[in-house]
Amino acid sequence: MAALRTSPIFTALEAHSPEWGEHAGMRVALRLRAENAANVDTLALTDVSSLVRTGLKGPGAVRWLEAQEIPVPQGFNRWVPLPEGGLVARLARTEFLIEDGWAGGPVARLAAALRTTAPGVYPVPRQDCAIDICGANAPDLFAETCAVPFALDPPEARIVTLTTMVGVGVTVLRRDVQGRPCWRLWCDGTSGPYLWETLTSIAAEHGGGPMGVRVLHGDISQPVAGTQGGRP
Amino acid sequence: MKLLCCPVNGLRPVSEFAYGGEVRAMPDPATCTDDQWADHVFNRSGIPGVKIEWWYHLPSGVWFHAERDVTADRVLRTWMPGEESAR
Amino acid sequence: MTTRLPPVDGEWIDRTKSLGFRFEGRDFTGFAGDTPASALWAAGVRTLGRSFKYHRPRGLLSAANHDINAMVQWGQRLNTRADVEALVDGMVLDAINTEGGVASDRLRILNSLGRFLPVGFYYKAFHRPKALAAFWERVFRRLTGLGRLDFSTPHIRTPKRYDYADVLVVGAGPSGLSAALAAARTGAQVVVVDENARIGGSLVYQRGGAAATLDQLRALEAELRAMPNVSLRPATLAAGWYTDHWVPLIDATRMTKLRARAVVVAGGVFEQPAVFRGNDLPGVMLASAAQRLVYRHAVKPMNTAVALVGNADGYRAVLDLLAAGVTVAAVVDLRPAGEPGPFGAAVRDRGVRVLAGHGVYEAVAEGDRLAAALVCPLDAAGNAVTGKVTRIPCDGLVMSVGWAPAAAMLYQAGTRMRFDAVTQQFVPEKLGDGIFAAGRVNGVHDIEARFLDGTRAGLEAARHAGRTVDVPMPAVPAETAAPSHPWPFVAHPSGKDFVDFDEDLQAKDFANAVQEGFDNIELLKRYSTVGMGPSQGKHSNMNAIRILAKLRGMQPGEVGTTTARPFFHPVPLSHLAGRGFHPHRETPFHPRHVALGAKWMQAGIWLRPEYYEVAGESREACIRAEVRAVRSGVGLIDVGTLGKLELRGPDAAKFLERVYVGKFAGLKPGMTRYGVMVDESGVVIDDGVIARLSDEHFYFTTTTTGSATVYRELQRLNAEWNMEIGIVNATGAFAALNLAGPHSRAVLGRLTSVDLTHAAFPYLGLRETEVAGAPVRLMRVGFVGETGYEIHVPAEYALHVWDALMEAGRAEGIRPFGVEAQRMLRLEKGHIIVGQDTDGLTTPDEAALEWAVKMDKPFFVGQRSLAILKKRGPRQKLVGFALEPGASVVPKECHLVIIDGAIKGRVTSIGFSEALGHHVGLALVAPDITAEGTALPIRVDNAYAAARVVPLPFYDPAGDRQKLPD
Repeated sequence: MAALRTSPIFTALEAHSPEWGEHAGMRVALRLRAENAANVDTLALTDVSSLVRTGLKGPGAVRWLEAQEIPVPQGFNRWVPLPEGGLVARLARTEFLIEDGWAGGPVARLAAALRTTAPGVYPVPRQDCAIDICGANAPDLFAETCAVPFALDPPEARIVTLTTMVGVGVTVLRRDVQGRPCWRLWCDGTSGPYLWETLTSIAAEHGGGPMGVRVLHGDISQPVAGTQGGRP
Repeated sequence: MKLLCCPVNGLRPVSEFAYGGEVRAMPDPATCTDDQWADHVFNRSGIPGVKIEWWYHLPSGVWFHAERDVTADRVLRTWMPGEESAR
Repeated sequence: MTTRLPPVDGEWIDRTKSLGFRFEGRDFTGFAGDTPASALWAAGVRTLGRSFKYHRPRGLLSAANHDINAMVQWGQRLNTRADVEALVDGMVLDAINTEGGVASDRLRILNSLGRFLPVGFYYKAFHRPKALAAFWERVFRRLTGLGRLDFSTPHIRTPKRYDYADVLVVGAGPSGLSAALAAARTGAQVVVVDENARIGGSLVYQRGGAAATLDQLRALEAELRAMPNVSLRPATLAAGWYTDHWVPLIDATRMTKLRARAVVVAGGVFEQPAVFRGNDLPGVMLASAAQRLVYRHAVKPMNTAVALVGNADGYRAVLDLLAAGVTVAAVVDLRPAGEPGPFGAAVRDRGVRVLAGHGVYEAVAEGDRLAAALVCPLDAAGNAVTGKVTRIPCDGLVMSVGWAPAAAMLYQAGTRMRFDAVTQQFVPEKLGDGIFAAGRVNGVHDIEARFLDGTRAGLEAARHAGRTVDVPMPAVPAETAAPSHPWPFVAHPSGKDFVDFDEDLQAKDFANAVQEGFDNIELLKRYSTVGMGPSQGKHSNMNAIRILAKLRGMQPGEVGTTTARPFFHPVPLSHLAGRGFHPHRETPFHPRHVALGAKWMQAGIWLRPEYYEVAGESREACIRAEVRAVRSGVGLIDVGTLGKLELRGPDAAKFLERVYVGKFAGLKPGMTRYGVMVDESGVVIDDGVIARLSDEHFYFTTTTTGSATVYRELQRLNAEWNMEIGIVNATGAFAALNLAGPHSRAVLGRLTSVDLTHAAFPYLGLRETEVAGAPVRLMRVGFVGETGYEIHVPAEYALHVWDALMEAGRAEGIRPFGVEAQRMLRLEKGHIIVGQDTDGLTTPDEAALEWAVKMDKPFFVGQRSLAILKKRGPRQKLVGFALEPGASVVPKECHLVIIDGAIKGRVTSIGFSEALGHHVGLALVAPDITAEGTALPIRVDNAYAAARVVPLPFYDPAGDRQKLPD
């Protein structure tokens, strides 16, 4: 039997009676029952935990990635995009987060390669809650929830910020989607429900709210039969 | 709120950090006396002045050293352990 | 009767927007841009409030945030300042602290009882006899005090914001705006805040009857508004200064925590009252208050004024009054020489009578209103020549005798201040790093000099913030005259000459306090309460310092100032009661726990099911049923809150041996071992299971509460040791379950291909395999004393595995169990919980864990301390004890073992063992009462429980439950 992955914030999404799809073995909320598509320009939060990712750290990590022909961000706390839409984020000095795009990427290959011990290379299991936050009011949300002004960083600098948001350790970077300002945020999955609930409730005060993946990321999956979101 | 400069992550509010105590050399447990050992374990210097301390950046897990004037509560500089000369 | 002036250039009111409101039951109207106080004053109302202690009638004093004469309750909003709050249509306001209304307050009788209420009276009387103290407290709380709290007021959560600036300028007067402009021209991001509804500061209202300052303001404002890197924020208060330029900004809706690289304090000065009898009568006001009324609100402050002055500013104010059509009956100048400058000449040119070397001996009232000033010459010592008193009828008396710097933020930023004899003012002597002062707070009063000083401070701040400054620093000319009179007091034998209007403190109160020995400014403040009211000394501290200096024969600079603490102004509690961020973590099984009716308990940052509630069953019954399920069937518990760490590298085993008391080099891959961690002093701090996956790969658990700190400390240790290892905190990445009970093997066997027979997968074994198709790590553990498997699974597959197990165990009646059942199960096995059965002093020996300690290693953390402690022997020992079946006296955790009146130990764990039919427990006791069978009398209230020491474990001592047939 094929094991099904579950997003850390599945329950929170389920409350929105979404139209479900599937991506990489995980249920994905394509469209929430009462979502406002215009929020994508105002302020929208989208669960992207289904994207597969892996991590590694250690003094040998840079050399190992280069040997795997993975582009390595040159500065600490910087990231680079991957061809299929994924990214490589350098966390602090010698830790890396590699995430596939919707269309795929090297994660499965790297995860398999990491099973073989390499000197100074230590795999880091990634079970993150990942959230895309987009829209013009996103900086207002950050200004209420985080003391570090990462939203002021120029997007072309490709800076990764490791900070605390509403008391939760997060990794955040800016990667615009179709010209829209967009930040991707990762936190430990066990903090995900709290972070999601807190951010969406504050987002509501800024004219935004949660949204399925379709508006921002297009048709990444066919709807799963029998889960068409009802009309309000 | 105070700011502290993590050598890797830059200037951050002190709430992102945990304090790790003064950097102290452990006496050789094989050769020191019981009194010397007890002094190391239980006594800390309260003398005001410039101290070198351990600090930890919680979101990134970076331990570093900070030289701090505890009288003025001013951090003079911070660096990664073993890379002092780099700063 | 209205005293609204014809339109005044630059007025803040909008005459097209009429607003109705109610004050003390009467209806009034005002304009948008009014405050309730300005609208009331325009309507001829003079008594706006009652004083705190004597319930004297009070009018406008500062028309700013510097006194609380006009403090009103607005529905559920208490303590609203009527002279600064914007008027809102439909406001219903009542003066606070009255009995029967502000006009005929029945408590005004207290005014005549003043001599029975000397300074510090409540310290001296009313606290003896003690029994009556509560009674008196109730009386005083009714007589004095502020608004009435309505307990049905809704809870308001005000969001807070973080904000950032290169340069924060506090105060938008001439110097602040100049500073902002200078800093902004260097390219700095500039935020300018001002507590007033509009920017401009004194440029708006200290005009001397001319238009020049207003033109200057308009030019500055136009330029600043055109700059994209400047944010002008009026009606925003900088409430304090915190380390590294962290400034809370308070506006009507929220608190913004602004971090600046540099701060310019250009908050100006507070005008100070003169002290004479009747200086608090409605109609007596600061000159700047009259100017604010005229220019902000177009209200004629009075018809006929007497101006009591001691500086050039007073003459300028007289020109403003004349421009507003006020008749100035006399200028009473405390200085024998009068005013030599241009404002003095201008006033004399207008034919106004100037009485130099005179003072106001008393302000006299008719009813509650000012009716006349009694004026007399002053002798060389500044005392009133009472034989020559002249009565000058007037309905207004303006005071312009001096200023005190608004220096609270400077003080908070560590500025050393000095008293400047020329300006008679405290000015900065040495500023803190990145903080700059400009304008009158910096002792620069001349208007042209203030523009220059602002520009200078703005440039210096911008440079500090890292901007390039390529323009010359302007030179700021020195002051030559004193804007503050050194002794603005005229004594009167009958007093009622107020220094602190909030606290109703008179000049004599200070003399009394000093006489009683409170002759240091900090002591004087606490004893007299000067400056401790809502105004925080804005209008009173300087005069208090002058009095104390005079009484002690010192200069004000020698007396010094009191500590200026944040917040500088009162901030509504609703602004502070923001959203509380209380992070909690949930394991991936959380939704299943919810569905099963979990009763939650807090475990560090986690929520864990204490037990699962079954309808109609008591808590106790639910827990016992869960225990039974594990002992006789199969149970499932979420143990995902345990810390889970991955350790890899060639030095991994060596590292573990340095941080745990046990040995791990010999642990075979595929096996686990219990580990105990002690700190440097040898005290048990954590325990867990260490699993070896391969030679260079370990996976180990920590206690729930220890995970973050253990991970952090291990990282730190390796930053010192530099061993070839990598540690990864996988606490959240892995979910974990313990499937336990005699049927656990059967249930698990349906979901995995691994051979679960004893021989293939022994007790303490470890396997990496799949359960229901998900990758897992299985560990055979015995914490609860039954055959059991810890199943560690990547979090994303957690629910899948849970559901599969629950389905697979349906036939066996699989039952989830909570933390309470687990506690009982492990207690029966005598397994300790670090932190419950140990405390901050317990060594492994004392916790009956000596078997886990391997002293024959080269080094481990705490080893040396344990070696020393071994010589001394344990001070206590953890023992098991049992009660008789059916015992009626049952102790709880922390109850004491008492023998012959001496404390000999305490209970750390206790519970009813269903398997044994009686209570069992663990206790830390003195070493001499650990022998089996020793009686342990445990005190429970007034009785003793009869416990006896029994060997551990209580249940299944031979471990047969781990050897059940395959």
